[in-house]
Amino acid sequence: MGDIRQSLLPRDVLSAAKELLYHLDIYICNMVQSGRQPPQVDSKTLDLIEEFILHTPKDRNAPRMSALQELQLLEIMCSCFQEQSRDTVRQLMFSALFNLQGNQADESRMALLSKLVSMAVAVGRVPILECAATWLQRTHRVYCVRLAQVLVDDYCSMVPGSGPTLHNIHSASPRFCCQFITAVTTLYDLTSDELTPPMELLQMIVSWIQDDPRLVLITFLNSPLSGSQPISSLDVTPLGGLIRWCIKAPLAYRRDKKQTNNGSSDGEPDAARLFSALHLSVLQVFMLLPNILNEKGLFGRLALLQMESVAALASDLSRLLDQADKHTHAATSDTHAASQLALDRLAQALQVAMASGALLCSRGTRWSLGNLLQLVLSGPVMYYNNIHTPPLTYSPHAAHSPIPTLPPHAPHTPLAAHPAPHAQYPAQPFMTGMPFPFRPGH
Amino acid sequence: MSAQKDCEFLVKRARELVSDDPCAAKAWLITARTLYPTDFNIQYEMYIIERNAERTASAGRLLYDMFINFPDQPIVWREISVITAALRSDSQDKHAQFLRALFETLPGRVQCEMLLKATEQCFNTLEKAEMLLLLLKRFPESVVQHGVNLGETLLEAEVSENVESPVNCFRKLFVCDVLPLVINNMDMRLPASLMQKYILKAAEFYIGYVTRGPSSDAQLQASQDGATLKSPGVSRGSQRFVIDGLSEKSSVVAEPWERLLDIVTVVGARCEWQGDKGQRSYIDMLQRVKELCRYLPGLEGETRLRYCSQVVICAALVLFRSAFLYVSAVQPSLFQGVGAMTSGPWILVEDLSSVYSDVEGDRATLKHAHKKRKLADGREKTMSSDDEEGLGKGRGRHILVNKTEMPNWSETLESFRTARESWDLLHSHDGLEAEFKKICAAWKTESWLWFRIFLSDMIIHQGHYRKAVSSLHQMASVQQPQPAQQSPTGQASLEHHRALIQQASCHYALGEYRMACEKLLDVVSGLVPPNQELTKAPEDLSRIKSKTRKGNDLRLLPCTRGAVLPFCLQLMLACFKLRAFTDSRDDLSLGHVVVLLQHDWPQGEMLFLKAVDKICQQGSFQYENFFNYVTNIDMLEEFAYLRTPEGGRIQLELLPNQGMLIKNPSPALGVELNTLLLQGVQTMDRHHTVTRGITKGVKEDFRLAMERQVSRCGENLLSVLHRFCINEKIIIIQSLP
Repeated sequence: MGDIRQSLLPRDVLSAAKELLYHLDIYICNMVQSGRQPPQVDSKTLDLIEEFILHTPKDRNAPRMSALQELQLLEIMCSCFQEQSRDTVRQLMFSALFNLQGNQADESRMALLSKLVSMAVAVGRVPILECAATWLQRTHRVYCVRLAQVLVDDYCSMVPGSGPTLHNIHSASPRFCCQFITAVTTLYDLTSDELTPPMELLQMIVSWIQDDPRLVLITFLNSPLSGSQPISSLDVTPLGGLIRWCIKAPLAYRRDKKQTNNGSSDGEPDAARLFSALHLSVLQVFMLLPNILNEKGLFGRLALLQMESVAALASDLSRLLDQADKHTHAATSDTHAASQLALDRLAQALQVAMASGALLCSRGTRWSLGNLLQLVLSGPVMYYNNIHTPPLTYSPHAAHSPIPTLPPHAPHTPLAAHPAPHAQYPAQPFMTGMPFPFRPGH
Repeated sequence: MSAQKDCEFLVKRARELVSDDPCAAKAWLITARTLYPTDFNIQYEMYIIERNAERTASAGRLLYDMFINFPDQPIVWREISVITAALRSDSQDKHAQFLRALFETLPGRVQCEMLLKATEQCFNTLEKAEMLLLLLKRFPESVVQHGVNLGETLLEAEVSENVESPVNCFRKLFVCDVLPLVINNMDMRLPASLMQKYILKAAEFYIGYVTRGPSSDAQLQASQDGATLKSPGVSRGSQRFVIDGLSEKSSVVAEPWERLLDIVTVVGARCEWQGDKGQRSYIDMLQRVKELCRYLPGLEGETRLRYCSQVVICAALVLFRSAFLYVSAVQPSLFQGVGAMTSGPWILVEDLSSVYSDVEGDRATLKHAHKKRKLADGREKTMSSDDEEGLGKGRGRHILVNKTEMPNWSETLESFRTARESWDLLHSHDGLEAEFKKICAAWKTESWLWFRIFLSDMIIHQGHYRKAVSSLHQMASVQQPQPAQQSPTGQASLEHHRALIQQASCHYALGEYRMACEKLLDVVSGLVPPNQELTKAPEDLSRIKSKTRKGNDLRLLPCTRGAVLPFCLQLMLACFKLRAFTDSRDDLSLGHVVVLLQHDWPQGEMLFLKAVDKICQQGSFQYENFFNYVTNIDMLEEFAYLRTPEGGRIQLELLPNQGMLIKNPSPALGVELNTLLLQGVQTMDRHHTVTRGITKGVKEDFRLAMERQVSRCGENLLSVLHRFCINEKIIIIQSLP
């Protein structure tokens, strides 16, 4: 295919790109037909793509496309993917164009991809969204987060009222929607104001999951069981990210309120309600898991929630609680309530996740938080495997290890026994402390 | 910390949150359930939250979980009984609808189990049956196991609860709900005898339902708004009918006869009845069994029995249905929901439209019709052996009816004919008759007043008058205890006299004129004398049309004051007519005839002239009531003429004790009439003056009496005749043998 370069050179940028796409299509079709393994595009073709579509300057002074030409190119690509009826061909073509190669062309690749996906969302091009969903599964999370950022900017920040367009992706391509949620929950970790999800996005996600809790599990349900996921890719479900949102929200939004100051922020009770609903939805999703895991024969063998990320969340929370106490010298009832809510949610999430087999850990694990948590960790352990088959059996893993270091956080609980302030908690055993390296760098 | 305390804490926490943040409350409960999956209160709390929010799907799911995991919790059962109660009720309120929808979300297997267990916990037979019925309706496969048992339980309940009427809640459930499920379930093998038992149970119910009388409730209503009740087609109060133990809505049975036919169709198919291609109508059914009947004598044993029961069941159902249709037209007030008051009751009586025709003609007809009747001394003998003749002559008898007064006359007569046909069929073989009698005995049909009415009419139609009289006698005694409702129109008392009128008619037909007159005079004495001449135009019309018919026909007489009194007068006339015109002299009868002929004048002109002829032949005539009851100007004129030399100087003794009447000229008469009375000397015109010959030495008192009668010409004739019946009752009766 490398030999067509000569015929492309004299053309103007747009028709050259168009011609290349045309040849690429034929080339991949032939490849699929011949059954060559692995079906991979050779490096010469990749070079052509970088030269004539991504316009990465090689030796020559490659002319850049005008904005209008770029728009035309996007349109051509859109219809190209739309018209290709074979999934395999389409997917190979998408990979050839947008799989990151670790070279300088990747920046333009990301730029073009972002624009293409944004456009596909706008005009409802399902095949492109499906390809993008696969891309989001295979690509390093840093880049996934960048794509998500573009979409959020395009649809939630830049043009007010364009949210409904984005909202429709859950029906257009549930797979893409699921990956998108995973990406945005990875992006917004509530560590700063910038990393707090926009209200519109939050509402959207809550309504998606309320409508169909299984949406969250789509990628998981559709992907093969083997560890085919690249290690640095996004989580297979957004559950971890969603839990983090719900648990940190009471404290993060409190801080938020304090900064924006004065009751003008009427979004706050709204957010509280949304996070409460989201938290419930997440627990309900967990409750779906035992059956699914059993069907796949994975119950107790596959952790949808990673121990490390949970541990990180726990230590995050611990730090936040510390800060909250330090900042308000006399702990107000508000602080107490927010802290208690965060802890309650953590405990609930951990308990339900463990019971549903999403989180694999033994009861002896030392955590440092809360009263329900104490109950959770010391209580009768059960894998909530099949509630409808009495009598319910307790898991043989059940261990009743004492948790000596866990004082209650709020005084109202009957479980309270140790009045020690949590500031004296011992250090977290799982201080992975891994900071998130993927903040959108500006 | 005990697990129990922990559970309580968790539930308490959820309860605190539920109003402010239901999501948080649910999150707590979900967590709690994973901690303590065997704790009932946690799950119940979850259910309550969803139920109170009326979220059907999730509440249903939780109820399902509780039902599976906590089958022994009383609270679960209380909840289930609330739901099943909603299923049984026809309430349309929002909560009941929610509960029904909730039940619908459950898997069929669970619904089935739930209903079964709920049934087990039920102690009231009716509720239990209703519950089981819900099960059977939803799960046809359960019919095999429970259908027949449920049916038998209901039938037993009738007995054990001492229910009198076949129209009761148990039977209703059995017939309308259980039976169709059972007989339509092809997976069940049902013995023919059982199906026959069931079909008879069903028929008894439907017939009882259709022929139910107006409830006392409705009667109360009727008396309260008697004025509005006469508006046609409206029967407000009478529509309300509740079977004890059922709601008003479920007491309603739509299209009972059609439902019964459906059952007959299915049972017929399952019993492999002969020639049965699905019953299209009751008439088809009758035709089919009529054909079947022809083969009956040639059959034996099992086959014969099977044929017999098919014929008897089908013919009996056609009989009762047709008889009901007939009686509901003839005596609508007996039934609830039949267009009461749209058309009054009707009485089947002898047709007397030829009463004014010549005696000879009558006699000829009678002779022809009843060959065995002997005429001795011109007096008709009573017919003693009507039974053997009855059948034969009953066949072709016509029933006349005023078509404008009875718009549905053809259906009514058709029903009567069909009913009679069925009856005859049922009595065409001993075997059939015996079977039919068993059914009648089981249903106690002898206590059905409406059926007795039909039977009486049928017997009359057959010409078995002797039987008819005793049947009517029975009926009158059944009717007697009913409270005689006094309404301003006298309608109720007229209906009460219905049987008496028919008895009179029968006695007349039997030639028992004295008895006939006794009965009809009883009727007349119960009538309120009319205060004005009643209109009788439609009656005249039909009579003229049917004038060619001679005797022997029957007529449906409207049971109204306007029709009953004229009929009684005609019947009396008929009783006296033959007697009056015999060769031997009977002035009293002849006098009665003259009085009665005034009615409907000049219909009876020919007979009157015949009477005058007879008087002329006799040369004298004695009838002391003449001036009391004869006010007809033509008659008065004729009698005045008879005394004249031209008239033949007939010796007339018309005054009580020869002149105890008026001795003095009546000043009230006025100059003009006196002149009229006196001027006839010169004129020979016999048609326009009453007074001819008076001047020629006629007794003054006769003249005066005549004068007085002329002044009475304007009197209400029916009042006069009514008075005649009342005052002369004894003499009238005595003048008959």
